[in-house]
Amino acid sequence: MTEARRLSLILAVSLLALAAIFAGPTVLDTYSVNVLTRSLLYAAVALTVDLLWGFLGILTFGQSVFFACGAYAAGLVFTHMDFSTSNAFLALGLGVGGALLVAAIVGWLAFWHGASALYASVITLVLPIVATQLLYSGGTFTGSSSGLSGFMSFDLSMEAWFWLSGSFLVGVTTLAYIFVKSDAGRLLVAVRENEQRCKYLGLDTSRLKILVYLACAAIAAIAGYIYAGYAMVVAPELAGFVFGTELVIWTALGGRGTLLGPVFGALIVDYESAQLAGDYPFVWQLIIGTLFVLVIVAFPRGLLPVVFDLPRKLLGLIRPRVATPAASVTLSTLDPADTQGVEPGEGAALSVAGVVKRFGSLTVLEGIDFEARAGELVSLVGPNGAGKTTLMRCIADGAERTAGSIAVNGYDIGRKPPEACVALGVGRKFQMANVFETLTVAQCLQIARVRHARPSLWCRAQELKLPEAAMHVLATTGLDKQLSTPAHLLSHGMKQALELSMVLALEPRVLLLDEPTAGLTKTERMQIGAILIDLAKKQGLCVLLVEHDLDFVREISSRVIVLHQGRIVLDGSVEEVVASELVKQVYAGSGHAGIDHETAPSPRTELPA
Amino acid sequence: MIGQTLDIVTTAAILYAVATGLLLVFGVMKIINFAHGGLMTLGGYAALLTTQAGLNPWLAIPAAALFGGVVGMAIERFVVRPLYNRPLDAILATWGLSIIIGQLITIAFGRGVQFAESPLNGTLDLFGESYSAYRLALVGIAAVLGIALTALLQGTRLGLETRAVIMNEDLARGLGINSGLVRFLTFTLGSALAGVAGALITPLSSVDPSMGVPWLVNAFMLVLVSGASLVSLLFACLVLGGAQVLVATHFSPVLGGLTIAVLAAIILRIRPQGFARD
Repeated sequence: MTEARRLSLILAVSLLALAAIFAGPTVLDTYSVNVLTRSLLYAAVALTVDLLWGFLGILTFGQSVFFACGAYAAGLVFTHMDFSTSNAFLALGLGVGGALLVAAIVGWLAFWHGASALYASVITLVLPIVATQLLYSGGTFTGSSSGLSGFMSFDLSMEAWFWLSGSFLVGVTTLAYIFVKSDAGRLLVAVRENEQRCKYLGLDTSRLKILVYLACAAIAAIAGYIYAGYAMVVAPELAGFVFGTELVIWTALGGRGTLLGPVFGALIVDYESAQLAGDYPFVWQLIIGTLFVLVIVAFPRGLLPVVFDLPRKLLGLIRPRVATPAASVTLSTLDPADTQGVEPGEGAALSVAGVVKRFGSLTVLEGIDFEARAGELVSLVGPNGAGKTTLMRCIADGAERTAGSIAVNGYDIGRKPPEACVALGVGRKFQMANVFETLTVAQCLQIARVRHARPSLWCRAQELKLPEAAMHVLATTGLDKQLSTPAHLLSHGMKQALELSMVLALEPRVLLLDEPTAGLTKTERMQIGAILIDLAKKQGLCVLLVEHDLDFVREISSRVIVLHQGRIVLDGSVEEVVASELVKQVYAGSGHAGIDHETAPSPRTELPA
Repeated sequence: MIGQTLDIVTTAAILYAVATGLLLVFGVMKIINFAHGGLMTLGGYAALLTTQAGLNPWLAIPAAALFGGVVGMAIERFVVRPLYNRPLDAILATWGLSIIIGQLITIAFGRGVQFAESPLNGTLDLFGESYSAYRLALVGIAAVLGIALTALLQGTRLGLETRAVIMNEDLARGLGINSGLVRFLTFTLGSALAGVAGALITPLSSVDPSMGVPWLVNAFMLVLVSGASLVSLLFACLVLGGAQVLVATHFSPVLGGLTIAVLAAIILRIRPQGFARD
């Protein structure tokens, strides 16, 4: 399906939805129209909960506050300043502006580098509690516990309010749908799946989260503004924790991460609540509570996917479904003239001076000094606990080390977070293959290119340009033939290769590889070895490699650094290290040097793990 | 001055009693039990039933522990156990349970506010200040709870196994510890403690179907800044509870009600491990 056809299909469906909204008041009774107007606005807020929770993975209890922001802006302005067209715009501006300001403060608190998902949820939980208390203590200005009512508002008929709310909902839902299915929208899922990998691909995930959070706050505030205009009453409960959790409940019932599920969840539950709450208020709440627990435990994806899967499964019984390949992406090699890697600065590609790392009283690294030039392939060896991985981490994340300085391409990394180190030219491959499990190979690679090729907010790229080095890895390992395979279906070796090509797609100058051959077959090892030599010699990368396999180290390295108990004990050529008595002692313990090799004549001189 | 110091100490004691059950569950199971508020409400109604039946008001405490414990067992088995690997979902599911408990109580007892009889009435003269005897008794009760829990964790085999699960669950299982049983017992104990806390606060406030909810957030924030340690919880209760008393008396009660939540959020922003040592 081409992009144009896909987008026009989405637009056609939303036009149908709009038509349904406009037909609504002619088929529904007055009471339903009245109730549904509110439900349509609540559904728009539930949509923002889904964007944050279902797609980005931030469980938020505080979207009610932004809704109340818009509602109270209208209530306050119309109560204290009279209603006029200019005041109506002023109120809208204040509502959205206030919501954005609050969201910026919350975002700064909740999404800083290193904040846990639980902490972000805690902040969104504190938010509505603070907001309601402030509204309560506002005296006659905010109307305290009874809120504000009796203010003038837009002179619109009930049908017009229904149309306005419905069009707003259809509009934001369509935009959100197009966004989450676009290349940029896929970033949200990538952050949810594996935030660490995103940061080490040079993405500022905190900024992304704050941007989405701001957009969601603005949408909720506009919904709240329309609500105040139509209901002509605002109360502190709108900002409350209970409404905040109701939004989460609707989202969970409908189906998180589906957009349409939460919209229908909110519409149905809120509408039914209004119908039944009069007669059986407590029983109704009890049913919703029970259903909610049941859905969370047994159907975490919500009810919409269940409803949609059922006919699909029944259909599958009659007619086996033909697997439709995911939208195909064609690969092409990036013109070397277009590569945008960081310009090499003065001096060595990597220079490490006096680096110390302590965990409390435990010193893991001390006095680490070395330099590596472009084109060098340096192996870092040493027994477990020598500090090899810690050193890698210190180079890739400026906040890690306790003391000392590290410069990449001549630029000091200072205390910069991983994404800024990537911008300076660091590429880090983790010890365990670290990819986006639910995304396809092509999508993983696209996310690795986001730093260089800004993704579209509304469509999907059909072509993916990769630097030669990444293309080379894909071609050698055969990954280029599995572009639409989800990453979790790949073998261990293929995942390692995929991660390596993702890191190479960053166009790094300094490549950090933590045991790239661990758990690979011999053929795969040789392939990776050849690729690494090629990268260093032809592409002029500075490669720093942690390895336990000495044969592999001997075959490919141009230099070896031996770490022992957090210090560099030897830094020299492969021959020097292999011949060194000291290295044997480090590995086997001083009294037993070499015994392992005599008693176990294995063809490979595997170092003890 | 003495009055205020007593306010701080007794407030800290109440917060400590309310938060221990939540802390225990968070420490062992790494999940936040949002049903804690609902279980406290249950404990409050257990106290109400005890005193309405004409029994000694002190009996409310074991009765509440029984109510909380039994319901906790059912919750652990049917709701929490399937969600071990989804901690954020466990928060939601236990919140749903809180709603269910609240609605069932509303259906059974009505929405109205009721009052339970206090086991201790009148005041005591302490340092020349006449102060509520029940609030002073709570300090003793909280101390007993803290000492008993510490003794359980430090002095018994179950406590040793529980500490092992707290530190490294996979390793503990590898060494043959039935971590499922440890989790089950912990959750039951935590729920019983929630019930006890609900019974303990009834003489200070009224009994109504949503009485536990305002306590939940404060207890939750205190647990987050304390990590999994009963000692740092005591410290957090004194510092944040003290701040709450000071803000409420010198500025406004409304701001006082927000103090713990806001301060805890700021503390966690500056120092993610809070008051815990690491």
